[in-house]
Amino acid sequence: MSIPREAYQTLQSIVGTEWVSDDPAICEADRYCSLSSPSEEKRRPGCSIEPVSTEEVQAIVKVANRYKLPFVVTSTYYSAGTYCRKDDSILIDLKRMNKLEIDEENLYAIVEPGVVFSALQADLFKRGLCTFVPGCGGHASVVANTVNMGDAPLGWRYGLGYQRLLGVEWVLPDGEMLKMGSLSMSKDYFWGEGPGPDLRGLLRGCAGHQSRMGIITKIGVKVFPFVSEELEPEGWAFRSFIKLPPNRFKWYNIRFYSREDAINAMFELGRCEIALVVMTVPPIFRGVARTRGVGCGGFWEFWKDAGPKLNPKQMDLRVLLYGIGSDKRLEYEEKVLLDIVKEYGGSPREAPCRDETNFMAADAICANVVGGRFSSEVSYESINQAVRYSKVVDKITDEHRPPILQEYNSTDWVCPYELGYIAKMECLRMASVEDNYALQEWKNDCQDACAKGGAYALVPDNKVFGPIWGNYPEKEDKIRAAFDPNHVSAPG
Amino acid sequence: MLKVEEYKHQAATCVRCSYCKFPDLNYIKSSRFSRQCPIDTRYRFNLYSAHGLLHSALAELDGKLEFTPKLMDALWHCTLCGGCDIRCKRNLDVEVLQVIETLRCRCVEQGKGPMPEHKMLADNVKKSHNIYGADHKERLNWMPEDVKPAQKADILYFVGDPSSYRHPEIAQATARLLSQAGVPFMVLADEWSSGHELFATGQLELAREMADHNIKAIKDSGAKKVITSDAECYKTLKADYPKILEKSTEDMPYSVLHITEYVDQLMKDGKLKFRRRVPMKVTYHDPCNLGRLAEPWYHWEPKYEPPNIAVGKTWRRGYNGVYEPPRNILKGIRGIELIEMQRVWDNAWCCGYGGGVGTAFPDFALWTAGERAEEARTTGAEAIVSCCPNCKDILGQAAEAKKTGMKVYDITEIMLRAIR
Amino acid sequence: MQIKEKLTKIVGAENVSDDPEVLLSYSKDCSLSAPRMPNYVARPKNTDEVHGVVRLANENGIPVVPASSGIHFYGNTIPNLGGIVLDLRRMNKILEVDLYNKMVRVEPGVTWGQLQSEAAKHKMMGLCPLLPHPLKSVLTSHLEREPMLIPKFEYAGSLVTMEAVLPEGEVFRTGSACVPGFPDKSMAEGVNPGGPGYLSYNWLIQGAQGTMGVVTWAKVKMAPRPKIDKTLFIPFESLEDAIQLVYNVQRRMIGEECLIINSVNLAAILTKKWPQDYNNLRRILTPWTVILVLGGGWRRPEEKIEYEEDGLREAAAELHIPALPTSLPGLPGIERELPGMLRTAWPEKKTYWKFADKGACQDVFFYTTLNRTPDFVQVMNQVAAENGYCIDDIGIYIQPMEYGRSCHFECSFPYNPDDTDEVAMIRNLYAEAAETAMDMGGYFSRPYGVVVDMVYDKAASYTTALKKVKQLLDPNNIMSPGRLCF
Repeated sequence: MSIPREAYQTLQSIVGTEWVSDDPAICEADRYCSLSSPSEEKRRPGCSIEPVSTEEVQAIVKVANRYKLPFVVTSTYYSAGTYCRKDDSILIDLKRMNKLEIDEENLYAIVEPGVVFSALQADLFKRGLCTFVPGCGGHASVVANTVNMGDAPLGWRYGLGYQRLLGVEWVLPDGEMLKMGSLSMSKDYFWGEGPGPDLRGLLRGCAGHQSRMGIITKIGVKVFPFVSEELEPEGWAFRSFIKLPPNRFKWYNIRFYSREDAINAMFELGRCEIALVVMTVPPIFRGVARTRGVGCGGFWEFWKDAGPKLNPKQMDLRVLLYGIGSDKRLEYEEKVLLDIVKEYGGSPREAPCRDETNFMAADAICANVVGGRFSSEVSYESINQAVRYSKVVDKITDEHRPPILQEYNSTDWVCPYELGYIAKMECLRMASVEDNYALQEWKNDCQDACAKGGAYALVPDNKVFGPIWGNYPEKEDKIRAAFDPNHVSAPG
Repeated sequence: MLKVEEYKHQAATCVRCSYCKFPDLNYIKSSRFSRQCPIDTRYRFNLYSAHGLLHSALAELDGKLEFTPKLMDALWHCTLCGGCDIRCKRNLDVEVLQVIETLRCRCVEQGKGPMPEHKMLADNVKKSHNIYGADHKERLNWMPEDVKPAQKADILYFVGDPSSYRHPEIAQATARLLSQAGVPFMVLADEWSSGHELFATGQLELAREMADHNIKAIKDSGAKKVITSDAECYKTLKADYPKILEKSTEDMPYSVLHITEYVDQLMKDGKLKFRRRVPMKVTYHDPCNLGRLAEPWYHWEPKYEPPNIAVGKTWRRGYNGVYEPPRNILKGIRGIELIEMQRVWDNAWCCGYGGGVGTAFPDFALWTAGERAEEARTTGAEAIVSCCPNCKDILGQAAEAKKTGMKVYDITEIMLRAIR
Repeated sequence: MQIKEKLTKIVGAENVSDDPEVLLSYSKDCSLSAPRMPNYVARPKNTDEVHGVVRLANENGIPVVPASSGIHFYGNTIPNLGGIVLDLRRMNKILEVDLYNKMVRVEPGVTWGQLQSEAAKHKMMGLCPLLPHPLKSVLTSHLEREPMLIPKFEYAGSLVTMEAVLPEGEVFRTGSACVPGFPDKSMAEGVNPGGPGYLSYNWLIQGAQGTMGVVTWAKVKMAPRPKIDKTLFIPFESLEDAIQLVYNVQRRMIGEECLIINSVNLAAILTKKWPQDYNNLRRILTPWTVILVLGGGWRRPEEKIEYEEDGLREAAAELHIPALPTSLPGLPGIERELPGMLRTAWPEKKTYWKFADKGACQDVFFYTTLNRTPDFVQVMNQVAAENGYCIDDIGIYIQPMEYGRSCHFECSFPYNPDDTDEVAMIRNLYAEAAETAMDMGGYFSRPYGVVVDMVYDKAASYTTALKKVKQLLDPNNIMSPGRLCF
């Protein structure tokens, strides 16, 4: 089996022979993606193609429909779930589409899928603006991440990814174009929803379709006010950081001696509407951060000593105070923070005025340095759910089988967003490289517990959750069937 | 060349996060210059990237993939600049560069590679001990009449093929500089090619011959220190020779310094002062072979403890390269204003020449250099300064092609102007 | 069994009507839309009853038009094709005040006054639009995506999760409210609007003007109510200058409520004695006023106001704005009164501010960016003048949104509803103004009346996709047919 010759020739005429290939090596290199379930079989694409414009994308999708060839889209290749599940798929790689415009005055950027967060952020910083770099990495595509996930610690102040979507240019699975928001009626990207019912609702829910509903070729994305001071990097490769102006930022690490106190402090920080970042710091995160650049061996040397000393009852919060807009604001925020910390019996410690992983870079992949693979159970719900559900997941982790990593304390990360209206919870589970299936089993157990406890988890298993969550898979199937009559957009 | 088990382990450890395509994210200064990997930036298919090649390596080893035309194209277009390698060592500690080098070696072993132009280098080296096929007897023709090298001295200047034949002005500047600084130095009467490109193109047998000859010649010279003005020679003598001999740099019978390290030390010791003013705004290009690839080599027999602890391994992470000495020198010359580019030190964008690319794919080398020239232009500097003849060569071509109006100098030329 | 009997069985006889007089009151509203009579009015008291009515309607192909407020301004509850008007005002319970998550769960009949007085008991406040009518439903405001007064919050993100009866009769909960056992026996607390799965049902239902389902409750955001406030009324002769200040202030992330308003609207809002105060105020107020409320937070409120004032002074100094007045001429004490006014509904006993001048008012509103608003003012004036409307009577309200990233631009044309010539003129003016604004790039995210067709004709690809979705959710097209593009 292979892509029909006629179809392939048409693809060549669309993008030029340089930018489409069915060479086995090109296709083999596009077989996998970084964040995917190890148990799912990944097929080598029938060909890989690199369009440079929306018109080319549209033409490719129409060819796929004409010949009923499945297609899968990827962009920076730091991707979640966008791999081929069917033979003779066309892998559409959007890296060459990397145009970027910024409307400085009206706080939005227009980006194509090849633009990554760190690049956008660098251009924004020069203008006293910012976006936020997702935890998975500053080298993730702004478009892909925003339509799929889109969260990061700066979201405490600036909200979640789905809220950042403005005008969207969307090539539907049948090759038809859908323009949304203000773009539906003009060439403006400044406004997101409508007209009328908001079809961004088709684009993503808790997470995105991962290529199963066509291809987003361009979006307007909100950006945010930021300090006007220049932020300079410093330090070596894995020890690099951005120096933060001390009149605008101040980090505090705060140790609480009971989880309840830490949680209540988080709620109170939300009510007081202070800070740019608020999150818990699981000890394993700290371990990885401290031993960055010394490899797996270095990590273990640190951990075997530090791990057993951890007190499982305590919880650490990390708070970045934010003195935007007024010289006295930082002072105010600090006083309020310290009031709250005092009230809940925490021990505050000021941390160096710099940022390693929130502004430009991010380090989710670092966790691999512990020496194996990791999986995570993630949910976006209230701070209360985050705390309750993470306890359940921790228990499963402890009982499941001896983990390769003795965590000594919870691995759960609680990262509230939007001043506490919603919170992310992420629990990590480590396994050796060869032990991928153990991760899948663990994941299944978490999902069962989620279903039983009435928690709301990300990327649920349709078979488990469909019947109890309003039969949502049926609705999705109906929508997909209507928009993808030939069943070509990342099927399977 | 990695042994099979280790090769497989390294390739399999990659999680395809794509960090290998970017500079240190904290150091990205603009979207325009936000990439690290030349082949990725130019050709875009994932195969043209470190993780693409690592995955191919695994597939080839498992018999799922052959050296197809595209795999050959991607593999040999890589400049081996090592940006991917040190980036990965922020996160995963994969020996990315060694896997790519090993894949090249496997390609050569199977008779599929290297490129015809690379084979010609080997033919030239066999014929006349230099990669250009030039007359070996003319190797020292560059030596200016006003410089008299010593017969016996602690310092040996290892010139390298490019400065001996193509860029004699660099060798001449180096020799005059040492001479005017009052440093007695020798040159080898029978210097052979360092073998740099042979190592890079997987032609290891001949590369080893070069190593054996040059090591013996250095040893026989009685020199205490070997100085190079060529970043490629520097890296080859410092890292490639011990690597092929399965030794560590510290176990080699010589120590090697780049001219900038040596001069920097002389300046610090108060033994050399640049008295003449050189009024010029310059920007400095870090050669990959003097920067992230310039660390000592540490021989290590793979040994792991669970979960993935490399027992007794000393890592090369790219931060011990020669970054500061050239900058110290430029800053120490009156009149020089050093304006940094956006991607510098371990994040420097490759000039495009390395890894045999300048030889086999000059157009791509020029494209890569063009990117660097564009970046240099944004600094507003009048000139680009580097420390490697091949960097000078290709950046010079690019600066002209891009109509930047910028001149390109080797640092030795600048130093010579300042000392005269 | 006749439809009426079936309805009676579902909601009880006293809550069903086909009395022409009753029906007449549902056939029209305060807009210029043509009246249409419903066949029935049903007033359910809970989700089960709504479910019953919708299922009945779907089985029989009868249109259903949900209506939650006691007053309607845009024609979006007029039963264009007859059928059943579902009057949801009996469902007026505040189901839950969730202080941890700063949210409240309300039924459709809860009004702004009702919500805000409950919220105030907990030192909270609902995120509300500008001086909503006392009969206005909180849920409707959120569903209609009415702009809120505080630009620091995410526009339209205040509607979090909801329960809706879908057109085919399914009771469906959106986002994390879908989990079994919600709200009492679940870990999830209904604060995630996304999903379940890969769709955001909230978004499909919001802005649908009752065409995608009937919402029976929704969880919406509140905010901590500032402990103390300081109100500034910054006068401007030119809108361009006012905009620059708003850009500057919002970039600094300063303040709570922030709006730009012209003298006509401001006078209408602040007038106590009609018409003398109104005329007097219109004369003494500058053409434009930026109203900015600085709110002292939950802790150290005075210090918060102090730093915000500092930042504000800096922002003003950059633009050479000489003074930052905290009062308005002729209105002593208004600065203390205003924050409270802005955090609740318009008083029941007073004529609604938009109607006080001439008895009725037609609004043209759309979204744009602040820098483009002066052009829109000019064009609106021009269109008004061409239609013979006195441009001095036009009210303008500009609501900056999301740190000034964009704004809601609202032009109000008060008119006398009893003067048929004036009504005809306004009808024409409305259409022309909307068309002109649209041509200039004004974005009508929530189109009403004659604007609906203009919008959907222009947004061709969107219209096609929207029709597909509607067909899937409402195959018999029973929910508010004839309202949007279906």
